[in-house]
Amino acid sequence: MNKEKTGKEIMTTTVFSWLLLIILTFVAVYLSNFIDSRDVFISCALILVFFKGQQIIDIFMELKHAPKRWRLLLLSYVILMPLIIASIYLF
Amino acid sequence: MLLGYTLTNNASAIESHHLPVKNRLPGDLAMWFFILAELTVFALFFIGFAISEQQNLVMFSQGKAKLHQTAGLINTIALITSSFFVALALNVMHKGRGRQASFLLIIAKLVACIYIAVKISEYLLLFEQGIDIETNTFFTLYFLITAFHLMHVLLGMVILAYVNHSAFKGKYSTNNLSGFESGASYWHMVDLLWIILFPLIYVI
Repeated sequence: MNKEKTGKEIMTTTVFSWLLLIILTFVAVYLSNFIDSRDVFISCALILVFFKGQQIIDIFMELKHAPKRWRLLLLSYVILMPLIIASIYLF
Repeated sequence: MLLGYTLTNNASAIESHHLPVKNRLPGDLAMWFFILAELTVFALFFIGFAISEQQNLVMFSQGKAKLHQTAGLINTIALITSSFFVALALNVMHKGRGRQASFLLIIAKLVACIYIAVKISEYLLLFEQGIDIETNTFFTLYFLITAFHLMHVLLGMVILAYVNHSAFKGKYSTNNLSGFESGASYWHMVDLLWIILFPLIYVI
């Protein structure tokens, strides 16, 4: 019973993760129409990339349960890529 | 032990469970090295695009204005939703329900077809305007990067089709999900790449 309940919790987490990804996608597009400052918008958009990437890596790829080094390796991608891109655009 | 990846023969850890096994890398190690290689290649594309944009601000701004942000938005939602169904399929496979997982994978592929249709429509619209890969630096990079990503989507569809067939035939079990997990991880990588590609090319 507990295992079945936990399995349902995982399913619920997956659903919420999907909803969050959809919402963050619309937030990025919404911000593009309402933020005048290019630098501020670029920063916001790339921060959203991290949060969306983290959901895909931890929840969809199930790396939340993986050895920490692999999880951190993949998470570093969605940290470094936005940082590198932001540094190119902003500096 | 490589980067914390261990082969486990601990049957009690994995028999009759419905959950991902903790501290275990899902799927095959070879697939993860392939995923890392693909992420690296695309990282170079993304960095190259950003640098080119900073050197050609007006051209890139004009180029992006010719793209359809709505199409990019639809593609983002399609890929995220497709990944969602693949993740659901894996959740269900953890419970040993191969046919249910197979059904969910079919839905995932149908949703991904939306991405393919929209992407091809985008290309055709640009071609009708006389825009192609040789038009200027922006469109060279646009076609290269998005077409390369499209190729990965198509390869992912082939992989999902194979995994789908195997799941339907009952090849996987709660003790043997490595192939399924590998295919799912590859598909999520494709989605992860688009998460970066969409804002970079369409939004920023």
